[in-house]
Amino acid sequence: MSFIPGQPVTAVVQRIEIQKLRQGGNLILGFSIGGGIDQDPGQNPFSEDKSDKGIYVTRISPGGPAEVAGLRMGDKIMQVNGWDMTMVTHDQARKKLTREKEDVVRLLITRKSLEEVVSQSKGRNPRP
Amino acid sequence: MPAEVKQEQSPSNATSLAMMQEPQEVVEETVTIEEDPGTPTSHVSVVTSDDGTTRRTETKVTKMVKTVTTRTVRQVPLGPDGLPLPEGTSPLSSYTDSIDRRYLKNGSDRFITPQATSTLTRAYNNSYDSYGETPESQYIRHYGLHDGYADLTDNYGSLSRGVNFRPPRYPYMPNSYRPENSYTLPIRKDDYGHVAQPQVPMGSSNVDLNRSQPERFQPEPYGLEDDRRSLGPEDEEPYELEPDYSTANRRTLPGHNRGRTHREPLRDMHRVRVYPDDPVEAELIDERHPYIHGMYSAPLAQPERGSMASLDRMGGRRSPSIDSIRKDPRWRDPDLPEVIAMLGHPIDPVKSNAAAYLQHLCYENDKIKKDVRQLKGIPVLVGLLDHPKSEVHRKACGALRNISYGKDNENKVAIKNCDGIPALVRLLRKTNDMEVRELITGTLWNLSSYEPLKMVIINHGLQTMTNEVIIPHSGWEHEPNEDSKPRDAEWTTVFKNTSGCLRNVSSDGAEARRRLRECEGLVDALLHALQSAVGKKDMDNKSVENCVCIMRNLSYHVHKEVPGAERFQDPSALQAPGSAGPQRKKKDDAGCFGGKKAKEEWFNQGRKSGENDKNFDTLDLPKRTEPSKGFELLYQPEVVRLYLSLLTESQNYNTLEAAAGALQNLSAGQWTWSNYIRATVRKEKGLPILVELLRSDSDKVVRAVAIALRNLSIDRRNKDLIGSYAMRDLVSNLPSGQQRPAKNLEEDTVVAILNTIHEIVTDSSENARSLIQAQAIEKLVAINRTSQSARETKAASHVLQTVWSYKELRNALTKDGWNKSHFQPAVTVTPKATKNGKPGYDDTTLPLMEKNQDGYTTIDQRAKECKYKTDDGSADPTEREPLKNDTNRKHYIRSNRPAVSLVDACDVKPQPVDSWV
Repeated sequence: MSFIPGQPVTAVVQRIEIQKLRQGGNLILGFSIGGGIDQDPGQNPFSEDKSDKGIYVTRISPGGPAEVAGLRMGDKIMQVNGWDMTMVTHDQARKKLTREKEDVVRLLITRKSLEEVVSQSKGRNPRP
Repeated sequence: MPAEVKQEQSPSNATSLAMMQEPQEVVEETVTIEEDPGTPTSHVSVVTSDDGTTRRTETKVTKMVKTVTTRTVRQVPLGPDGLPLPEGTSPLSSYTDSIDRRYLKNGSDRFITPQATSTLTRAYNNSYDSYGETPESQYIRHYGLHDGYADLTDNYGSLSRGVNFRPPRYPYMPNSYRPENSYTLPIRKDDYGHVAQPQVPMGSSNVDLNRSQPERFQPEPYGLEDDRRSLGPEDEEPYELEPDYSTANRRTLPGHNRGRTHREPLRDMHRVRVYPDDPVEAELIDERHPYIHGMYSAPLAQPERGSMASLDRMGGRRSPSIDSIRKDPRWRDPDLPEVIAMLGHPIDPVKSNAAAYLQHLCYENDKIKKDVRQLKGIPVLVGLLDHPKSEVHRKACGALRNISYGKDNENKVAIKNCDGIPALVRLLRKTNDMEVRELITGTLWNLSSYEPLKMVIINHGLQTMTNEVIIPHSGWEHEPNEDSKPRDAEWTTVFKNTSGCLRNVSSDGAEARRRLRECEGLVDALLHALQSAVGKKDMDNKSVENCVCIMRNLSYHVHKEVPGAERFQDPSALQAPGSAGPQRKKKDDAGCFGGKKAKEEWFNQGRKSGENDKNFDTLDLPKRTEPSKGFELLYQPEVVRLYLSLLTESQNYNTLEAAAGALQNLSAGQWTWSNYIRATVRKEKGLPILVELLRSDSDKVVRAVAIALRNLSIDRRNKDLIGSYAMRDLVSNLPSGQQRPAKNLEEDTVVAILNTIHEIVTDSSENARSLIQAQAIEKLVAINRTSQSARETKAASHVLQTVWSYKELRNALTKDGWNKSHFQPAVTVTPKATKNGKPGYDDTTLPLMEKNQDGYTTIDQRAKECKYKTDDGSADPTEREPLKNDTNRKHYIRSNRPAVSLVDACDVKPQPVDSWV
């Protein structure tokens, strides 16, 4: 799924709501992210388009909140609580995900299998 | 064809006509104008790629063709042998009555066999529809008819002529007369498309023609032709109708231009051939050949191919009719050298026909234009401009207009090089024929789109265009007669063309501006025209747009360029140029507004204008002893109301942009008049109008308005008001980091808005507070961090730094989760700048008051407003501290790393950062 930065993107997205888990002094989500506009997109193993600088889910901690919520490795994060994640630095994404005062993050994610399912039927384009 | 002209000028059209547009002019002047009101867009699609303008041209061309056809008809009877009609003869009874009618109408000649002539004409007039798919065959039948009349035609009296002619006729066509093809005149089916046109009152043109053709000439074929010709002009007059025609034509024509071109040559042949085709000559054909042959064949590259050679050269596929013609070796089109040679033919109708044909050939065909140039046709056409016969100079001018259109500036230069510009201007002075004037001004408009010709046009044509067109059509009167009431402007095509031309030349830099400003009556007339537009609420047309654009261009740098400007320089400006000087501040605070900021006040400025006026009086206004005139009118506060009216009422984006640009120009700079203009905008309730336009869908409008607001905010009072009431609209135009706003504004616009915001928050912590309240920090930080544009990044960074510099606001900012690092220059600025190949022109990144002007006044864009640099000394921190930025960046990345390692991560590749969350 390629897109032009700054332009609207059409993608099949899924909403995922993750309840943060307090672990020690930290709130954790239980996954890790890679990517960002300041990173080398060529090294992203999950993206189809190797120029995609989006934020991707790189790992999921087993049994963690993210896994419970249905997040999968390789998902591309489109939004976090309404914030666009397709054109942010890695650190910006991290910060959006880890805000202390928010116990819940709502993600919009897209993944290839979603695209495929929808493209079979007809292809809708939910607007973020 | 006038349409063509417009196209060039109007950038707006550019979308559709990528090919045609002139780079600068379009942008400059016409940017917005998608189409002229008269041109229905719907047709465009039919036409294929051309825009409306183009279409018009075509139409005209067609008309010309028509004319030709008529001629052909007559000739047909003359030369029986030349007729290509195998199918022979079906007397078209249906035509008869029409024939008579036509005949009577023209009433011209007893010499013509009524049937022959009228029949043909009839065919014309009949809508081609009736011919169905096979118009050609119909024509052929006509021919058959004519054959019968051949003997009658002999009466023409052209017999003797034919004999006399030949030698003198050909001297100009050394190149390419091809013997074989010479004589038959096929009728073109395509032409009938015109017939469908609504009949325009024939009266005037016919009358003219008849007048110009004394009775005794009528017997001659030429005289007759001229009669017929009346059809041409008649059709051409109503431009509005044209689109219809053109579509009709299109339908008839199976294909695209090429096909047409080919076919038309055939028709033209008729025209061209008119002279040799006397009956006598026809008989002589065989003898003639050798003569002609000897004379012309040599230069031809492919003599053996006969007429088709020329066809092929003109490029394209053949129409069926051509093929049928081919069967008869004597049929062929004149080739380009021949046509050009005919321009020098001693007989005037031949000249005008040749010119008309050239015009047609050149339509939308850059190749032919170039060929005409290379065959030295342009000087001949220019020479014909001085021809006494209106038919001749009209057609020559038409051809020149088409040739001058397009992106091939060589053609324009060629016209200039043979003194075409003075010749056009001369003709403009001489002629009263509206159509010719339209053609002339259209040509000049085309020429004016090429930078190097602008000054030439100014030198030769400025005063003439002003006196002959602008002033009379604007309704302005030098010394208004007491009896006559003020006249309104007339939005004629001539006025539109001329104003378009002036609009183009007005962008040619300081000298051009000076010349236009000092051109007697020009500014007065333009202002009058605009005022009358406002009065009539007729502000969306192209002429208004042109006028406003001229005014805007002439308003540019008035404070520096106008004679005597020094006397009005604001002394405070010398000390602190560009900033809100302490003096001014004091003055304003002393005014009635001091400190009040009720919304009411914003919208009710007018009510307080009484007090306000007092305020003005304290401004040291230059005393006016007599009513201002000429260029002084450009910057009198009275114009503010005019521009504001346009901004309120017009729907034309170009006009809006230009009006905002004019205010922008006038409110720039530090002289007394700009102080007064800034105050007047406020007093006339202009600020809300401008702010409202920030919501416009048009990028350019938003940009011009933003810059105007910025200049206006040099006035302290304006700054406060704008800060209070415009901030949200300004901010809403900024990209939000997540996605661009729906408008998706261009980089220039975003930068302009950022610079305006910067100006507004400078020296005003109140305004900075408004900015924060408008949720702007989020956007600014996002732009600062992530924008792809170095200029946006920089401009956002300036604003952020200014905001951070207000210590009293930091508390609020921190509460919102911001810290100092957000207000520091973004990390990647420097690399971005180099990557973009914009190694930091100071003036592209620095806020420039008149930055926007670059588009309009191409020349001195870089020279302007240096004061801003000094003023904004703090403005460029990113450049000062690139190193810091770099470290900053490293810091960011490094700070991520721990996150990875904390997880005792799996992949320890150093490169891709990966953060557990």
